Amino acid sequence: MAPQTLSTREANLFRTVIRYYEDKQYKRGLKAAEQILKKNPKHADTISMKALILNAQGKTEEAFALAKEALTIDMKSYICWHVYGILYRTNKNFDEAIKAYKFALKLEPDSHQIQRDLAVLQVQMRDYSGYVQSRFNMLKARPQLRQNWTALAIAYHLEGSLQQAENILTTYEKSITSTPLKTDLEHSEALLYKNSIIAEQGDIQRALEHLDTDCKNCLDRLAVMELRARYLAELGRKEEAAKAYRALLDRNPEFSDYYKGLVAALGIQEGDEESLSAVYAEYAAKYPRSDAAKRLPLDFLSGERFRAAAKAYLTLMFDKGVPSTFANLKHLYSDPFKKETLPALAEEYLSERDASDTEAQGNSDSSKGKGAALYFLAQHYNYYLSRDLAKATEFVEKAIELDPKNVDFHMTKARIFKHQGDLAKAAEQMDHARSLDTKDRYINSKAAKYQLRNNENEKALATLGLFTRAETPGGPLADLTDMQCIWFLTEDGEAWQRRGNVGLALKRYHTIFNIFDVWQEDQFDFHSFSLRKGQIRAYIDLIRWEDRLREHPFYSRAALDAVNLYLQMYDKPKGGANGVDGGEANGEDASERKKAAKKAKKEAQKAEREAAEKAAKQDPNKAQKSKDGEEPKKKDDDPNGAKLAATTDPLGDAMKFLGHLLQFSPKNIEAQIAGFEVFIRRKKYLLALRCLKASIALNKDHPKIPDQAARLRREVSGALDSLPPKAKEVIEAELAAVPGA
Amino acid sequence: MDIRLLRASDIPLIQHANLENLPENYFLKYYLYHALSWPQLSYVAVDVSRPPKTPYDHPKIVGYVLAKMEEEPADGVQHGHITSLSVMRTHRRLGIAEKLMRQSQLAMVETFGAHYVSLHVRVSNKAAIHLYRDTLGFKTEKTESKYYADGEDAYCMRLDLSFLREQLREAEEEQKEKNGTEGVDEGEPVGDVGRDPAAAKSSEPKIKVKVGRALGVGDLVEKVESKAS
Ligand SMILES: CC(C)(COP(=O)(O)OP(=O)(O)OC[C@H]1O[C@@H](n2cnc3c(N)ncnc32)[C@H](O)[C@@H]1OP(=O)(O)O)[C@@H](O)C(=O)NCCC(=O)NCCS
Repeated sequence: MAPQTLSTREANLFRTVIRYYEDKQYKRGLKAAEQILKKNPKHADTISMKALILNAQGKTEEAFALAKEALTIDMKSYICWHVYGILYRTNKNFDEAIKAYKFALKLEPDSHQIQRDLAVLQVQMRDYSGYVQSRFNMLKARPQLRQNWTALAIAYHLEGSLQQAENILTTYEKSITSTPLKTDLEHSEALLYKNSIIAEQGDIQRALEHLDTDCKNCLDRLAVMELRARYLAELGRKEEAAKAYRALLDRNPEFSDYYKGLVAALGIQEGDEESLSAVYAEYAAKYPRSDAAKRLPLDFLSGERFRAAAKAYLTLMFDKGVPSTFANLKHLYSDPFKKETLPALAEEYLSERDASDTEAQGNSDSSKGKGAALYFLAQHYNYYLSRDLAKATEFVEKAIELDPKNVDFHMTKARIFKHQGDLAKAAEQMDHARSLDTKDRYINSKAAKYQLRNNENEKALATLGLFTRAETPGGPLADLTDMQCIWFLTEDGEAWQRRGNVGLALKRYHTIFNIFDVWQEDQFDFHSFSLRKGQIRAYIDLIRWEDRLREHPFYSRAALDAVNLYLQMYDKPKGGANGVDGGEANGEDASERKKAAKKAKKEAQKAEREAAEKAAKQDPNKAQKSKDGEEPKKKDDDPNGAKLAATTDPLGDAMKFLGHLLQFSPKNIEAQIAGFEVFIRRKKYLLALRCLKASIALNKDHPKIPDQAARLRREVSGALDSLPPKAKEVIEAELAAVPGA
Repeated sequence: MDIRLLRASDIPLIQHANLENLPENYFLKYYLYHALSWPQLSYVAVDVSRPPKTPYDHPKIVGYVLAKMEEEPADGVQHGHITSLSVMRTHRRLGIAEKLMRQSQLAMVETFGAHYVSLHVRVSNKAAIHLYRDTLGFKTEKTESKYYADGEDAYCMRLDLSFLREQLREAEEEQKEKNGTEGVDEGEPVGDVGRDPAAAKSSEPKIKVKVGRALGVGDLVEKVESKAS
């Protein structure tokens, strides 16, 4: 079939279709496309454009069907291939998108746009050699743009070809004819970027020289100063390094690394308390408002020296009424002497205060002085290394007596209840603390968290709703989800799980999983954005971080929750189509749980209904700011997780979470333990063995290890026939070395 | 508590601190947008004292300042803007907010030639107002009625950064003197950070990138601008 060609009028119309698409005027775009198609029903490019618009409107299937149809009509149209690639890209199938772009590029090698789209996908997918190639082509096409040089250098850098990266940057620098202005930020950043590449090659001497010459006037002063100090220290040029760290401390006396750098450069030995103190004392005197200079010595001082320094520090903090004093010192409790001394000093402060009480009372702010010391002691006795909850209560009551409306005091009282195991009272108390300062979201968040710990999901949501944006359709839950509020989603899911509502628990864990997907995709736009902005070092930092995004504890906690829940579901398959089942099943309280689950479901439905009603009352103009035909927000077809809970393959579903967990947090022993449990149930014995071995390597004394080893041995010997002999051999040999197996 | 520059890996916990402390919240991408546009301006306070439980523990962020340069200043004068600032209640009154702000202000001048820094604050926020006005020296420009989503008014405040520009110029001159003849003048006027804003503007076409739709982050920018801190 020969591709149709358009008349001039229609060719113009075609261009307007593209424009409408780019301006997100989808309805108009479609209308124009239809007009062309009326006369030229087989015009492949127009069909493709129609597909593109439908895709933008969320009609994915229709779009793909059309795009394919267009391709069968005209296999040689680069537009059709490009569109096909874009469809795949927006539907997150990046591999297929790359293939389609490559086809398009073969047909139209000079298309800058296709080349750029391909390049972005390649770096997004970490296809670095492909990216190098693309950026090379782009540089060849437009060598006059600095961005293109920088981009090729980045590609080489990410690929690991540091020398080439440096060469490219140098080549461009040499081609500059006029001296760049000092205020040319792109230039300044490119120089520092090059400096980082030199250092990464390990040639610190050259990096320092380059820094002192080429980067001397770079606009990021802090970077220059920090790099200089680091290089000098690494090169053993101690005297200059000390000077460099002093310069940094003058700039920011609140960064412990600078003190460490200075101390090392001065050659002060670890135990030399006197010389160490002298360094900090100098800065404490020079910068009276610096906290670090006064506090950090408490880390290394011992005996009488510690006592004296701690006394001075505590007195200052109590007099000022700094509520965070305990939080700042509790890490010292790993030292028994310090653990004894700090509360003794607080008591001392109190009795000294009592002696001079008459004048002290004149001070109206009771969170200062005595109150602060009482508060410190309450926290001390509430801390797990020095816990005595009766005493903690005593001190916090005294503090409250002194200042009945103090939020911090009431907050600590709630914590004490929590440690006593009374979650209901803890939640109530925290909510009381909240009521004392309704303008502070921190205390609001804490109150909600305590309600969740007490399995009061609905109440917690109502509490949080005091601060979420009222105009978000769908209410507080939607707002917290939109705003990627991981802590809430995690705690809410865990509470639902405790209440036996598998559906909502899974729903929350999956939401978190999806947020991490979004965070990974978020980098997409920055591949080109950062080139324009010229902040290359920050961009490299982003790329490196994204590569290990899912090692974040936010991910591992939710993923572990999900995997463990799926394991329970597998072990106790239950009817409940709506997924309100699970939890620690042991028959006896089953009806109890069912009742709770039923109630939970009702409450959830009620909450949803209310949210929907509230949403309906919103100003319609505010709720939907969308322009003509902009993509509608996809409706959640499983808001309560019923579908998730109805899974017939919980272990398969668990794999989705487990894969990333094992890949990104292999040193997390809980991940390995959970991995074993999934694999042994799936009869993947080699994989189970791998997890077991990893657990042993991390902590051979973990209580679950003997049991897991014994089970694996039992299973393997029972599964002899179904197991390839080779695998069996390997496993048995390995197990022989495992204690308890 | 270390006060140091923001890193990309800090961002989830910065977002967390923001969600805990303030009603004005943003997608992670908006933090990225700051970190990749003006990486010199945002600072965090981190608690480095607690020993990590797993190798993947991220240092706890107890405070942060998220700052930017105004992309298209209405008055044509380069200036910074504080998008968000907060400190966990457990770590307040230690001077953290003040120190975060000072670091950011310095970088605004050094790296971007800012003349002043602006911000919005709820008229009822005593702690923040004390910090800005009394500790840092901000002046109230005007009151913007119903600026916040819940209907509260905002003070627009600003701090003239001339004193920092002056300091920088002096330091530079000192440096020049120390270097003596060896540091040959490169033809730039001494202390060029102090030039008139219009000139500074026209000499910086490269950093004046318009963040429009073409850059992909555009939608985001619009959205958040309307609910700034
Ligand atoms: C406002 C906030 C950031 C201050 O943080 P901080 O680290 O406690 O502040 P600092 O310790 O640096 O204090 C700076 C000054 O403000 C004063 N201050 C702090 N909290 C105060 C309070 N509650 N009431 C009165 N003054 C207060 C301090 O005493 C200090 O004054 P000084 O210079 O006279 O000694 C913090 O309270 C917070 O995060 N609040 C919630 C979020 C918020 O409101 N952010 C601001 C949005 S614009």
